Order: sequence, then structure tokens, then C-alpha cells
Amino acid sequence: MAVLDEETKTYQEHKQELLSKAKGKYVLIKGKEIVGIYESEKDAIKIGIDKFGNVAFLVKRIEEIDQNQNYTSFLIKVG
Amino acid sequence: MPSKTFITPSLQAEGPTLEVQFMIPVALEEQYRKASKPIPTPIVVKALIDTGASNCIIKDGIPQKLGLQPNGTIKINTPSSKNHLCYKYFMRMFLPSYGVTYEGEFTATALEEQTIESLIGRDLLQHGILIYTGNANQFTFSLL
Repeated sequence: MAVLDEETKTYQEHKQELLSKAKGKYVLIKGKEIVGIYESEKDAIKIGIDKFGNVAFLVKRIEEIDQNQNYTSFLIKVG
Repeated sequence: MPSKTFITPSLQAEGPTLEVQFMIPVALEEQYRKASKPIPTPIVVKALIDTGASNCIIKDGIPQKLGLQPNGTIKINTPSSKNHLCYKYFMRMFLPSYGVTYEGEFTATALEEQTIESLIGRDLLQHGILIYTGNANQFTFSLL
């Protein structure tokens, strides 16, 4: 997955530092830059749009173990 | 609280569905207007209200038709797979039946069904009330 690979790597590199100071909040990352930490996902995304426009950037909840989303529907075509 | 009751003979076979429109987010539309860029036309789809979905789903390809870029990734679990990596898109969904707009994250993935192009999951349902009256082929969905 090429898009957001760099941002994901940046998150992993700073994960412990982010966890220690902002667990449960949302981080906005563009490339190698940690742009900011926000209380809500929507705030982070809106600031990302204002700052960067319509480009890929990463907004991620800062947590020790990432939570998966769960679906019971057989409509979803994966695997 | 906007509330609407739908009577549909295919309720058992199809499930509770709504016609919705997907658009780019408000913040992006404002940027486009300032830059005199054309606003992408809303995409009309049929969405299934799915209490078995933890989050809202959009069929892969629809965010791309609106020219949107992803704002995150997420792993999903389904009956047939675990830890499937998907992109997330911040999108605006308009529900014409209610005159209500919802802005939030949609997880993009392929969907088997040709007519259902979105799942309305519990992240949106937490703001509403769903009453399924199977013996009358009707459901009522209210948004808080």
C-alpha cells in the first residue's frame, strides 16, 4: 500500500513518544512531519484539509494496540 | 429529531436501505469554491443500514470518483478474513429523506452486491434509533 506508507512509518517511529504525551488523542501526519495532536478525529481532518488541501495525509488515534473494525456482512468482498 | 418510516416489500430479502448522496467534505468544497474549481457532482447510492457493521463502509471506487484522497488506514475483520487493510476517507453523506447531512469517516472496500454501495454502521447508528417492524415490512429510522 503505497499511499500513506511514509506517514504510517512516521507514526511508528514516534509511537512511544506520542503514547506518553497524547494517548487517546488524534495525530495528524504529513510525510515525515507530525503536524499536530487534536482532541477529535474530525478536528484533525479539517485542519489537514485546510493546511494541505485534497491530498493524502494520515489522521490516527494514538493507542497502544490499534483497534480493528468488525463486520458480519457477507457483502464485503475481501480475501 | 428527524424520523421517517419506510415501507418496503423487499425488506426481508434486501434489508433496510436508504438512498443517500456522497459528496466531498464541506471544508474541501469551500477550498474548491475559493479556487473556482468545479465541485464534483454528488454520487447517489443505495445504503444498507447494517447493525453488524462497526463502522460505515463506502464501496471502493466511489471516493476516487469524487477525487478524494485517503486520510487513514484501518484493518477490518469480516466473516472470511482478518486484518484486511483498507483506506479511510472523510466524506459527506446527504440523506435526502431527512434533509440531513452527516460528515465522517468511511472505510473503503469492495462490495459483492451490485446495488448496495454503502453500509451505514454503528458509528452513525449511535446517533439514531432504528425500529425494524418485520411483520409490516417496514422500518423506522430516526436521527438524533
